[in-house]
Amino acid sequence: MAQWQGRLFLTPTILILLLLTIFPFLFTLAMAFGKVSFEGGALKITLIGIKNWGRLVYDARFWNALVVTLKIVSLSVFCEYLLGLLLAMLLNRRIKGRTFFRVTFLLPMMLAPIAVGYMWRMMLNDTRGPFNDFLRRLGFGTVGWLSDPNVAMYSIVLTDIWQWTPFMILILLAGLQGIPRDYIEAAKVDGASGWKVFIYVIFPLLAPASIAAIFLRSVEAFKIIDIIYIMTGGGPGLVTESLTLYGYSVGLRAFDLAYGATISFSLFFVVLFSSVLFFFLTRKARRISLE
Amino acid sequence: MKSKLLNFITYLILVTWTVIVLFPIFWMVTTSFKEKLDVFLGPKYLPWVDFKPTTKWWVRIFTIERRELITPFVNSLIVAGISSFFASLFGSMSAYALTRYKFRFGPMNNDDILLWIVSQRMMPPIITALAVFLMFRVTNLLDTHFGLILVYIAFNLPLAVWIMANFLSQIPQSIEEAALVDGASRAQAFFRVVVPMVLPSLSATFLLCFVFAWNEFLMALILTYSRAQTMPILIAMQHFQRGPQWWDISALSTLAVLPPIAITLGLQRYFVKGLIPIGK
Repeated sequence: MAQWQGRLFLTPTILILLLLTIFPFLFTLAMAFGKVSFEGGALKITLIGIKNWGRLVYDARFWNALVVTLKIVSLSVFCEYLLGLLLAMLLNRRIKGRTFFRVTFLLPMMLAPIAVGYMWRMMLNDTRGPFNDFLRRLGFGTVGWLSDPNVAMYSIVLTDIWQWTPFMILILLAGLQGIPRDYIEAAKVDGASGWKVFIYVIFPLLAPASIAAIFLRSVEAFKIIDIIYIMTGGGPGLVTESLTLYGYSVGLRAFDLAYGATISFSLFFVVLFSSVLFFFLTRKARRISLE
Repeated sequence: MKSKLLNFITYLILVTWTVIVLFPIFWMVTTSFKEKLDVFLGPKYLPWVDFKPTTKWWVRIFTIERRELITPFVNSLIVAGISSFFASLFGSMSAYALTRYKFRFGPMNNDDILLWIVSQRMMPPIITALAVFLMFRVTNLLDTHFGLILVYIAFNLPLAVWIMANFLSQIPQSIEEAALVDGASRAQAFFRVVVPMVLPSLSATFLLCFVFAWNEFLMALILTYSRAQTMPILIAMQHFQRGPQWWDISALSTLAVLPPIAITLGLQRYFVKGLIPIGK
């Protein structure tokens, strides 16, 4: 069969990805090891070695953004997984109104994160938001959801959980539906209780879906900027500034492109390192599920 | 008895989560119908009970503020629509090639190529954003529809290829083979035979790409500033200009979430059946 035809079908995709993903990637890499200047309107990049990276190591604001990003990712993904698992298990039961619940539960992940951030900004407002109003009515003191440096990050996490638990539900439910009912029936016939069926049958069989869900969601969560941009702008102080937000501020607001590129690239290494670590940690679970 | 209790708990949790999901959306929609005082004087919840709804903000954004609103809304439609069209077209073409031909690029076979394409989605966008900003500045593509469309095609292609590869590997090849035997070219077989067969999946892919492009923020923030601004940017800018004027921005946000909600309801069949291939 004519091979060139197949290549022709692939060409647009490969060209676009080379032009808008691979080339910019290498371009940013060059910037991270160089200096960007505009001479008479012409762009010039001079390679200067690892100077930008030396600056990064001593940049307290970078380390803060790194820790904030890691905290947001681990906390949100952990809660999203537990909630998503619980809700997917319940949605997998034969109950009335299943379709209604499934579709409703998916809604948040389809909405623009900017709109979601704005919704939650209104909800969490100190004086005019329903959250503090409920607390006041119940006789508790109010909380500075977005203004208290000790709380603001958790408000971001809360919003992220609201928006992205649906993603976990979607994937875990697909995984649960792939488990043959016979396995579960067989375990029950053998006298296993509900809990035992879950721990010894369902959970291990669900491992591939769990791993995929956690991995995909974490990779996405590392990119977080929109919710933070509109809810706190990185504040109060810098307690909610993520790596993407810091890279954006340095690269395009302060227009220090080379250092912005360095910060962005550090995020790439963080994602890469976390992925490798994750695959290393789950290798056992993945092997078991293959057998 | 035990199963009755279990059912009760199931419904209790499901209904609670439904309320959690719907309340913020309800809050946003009702806020767009509130008078200024009803916003400022603490939270008011139920329309007609706690406050008297007004449509004046909606009237305003469609009359006095129409020019500011209509451009970003149309921009979003154009950019998301055209980019998703090409993302699903190129994506399904690649998926077709990967499921019908055997490739070998150096050490990479078909599965490796598919993985390579899909993994492009994992790269944090801020990394490419800075370089794309400079590329567009040099080529005068900043703040143009064309530039943003290109970026969104690249942004959605991995997803489109992944979903379509799954669908295309499931459909029987005998029909297109019959067409090929009858003298159709590969291109004819693809566009006349395969595309009509997978049209429902293809439209689902298109709509999903549309939602992601419609919602995208970071690239639009960096690559546009006035003429090509999209809805999310309009909301963010209005928010920073107007501060506590919740009613207008709530109306804009409601408008921005309507198309995705409509699409989700339209695609429910796919979500319930499982659109995303797992453990394959």
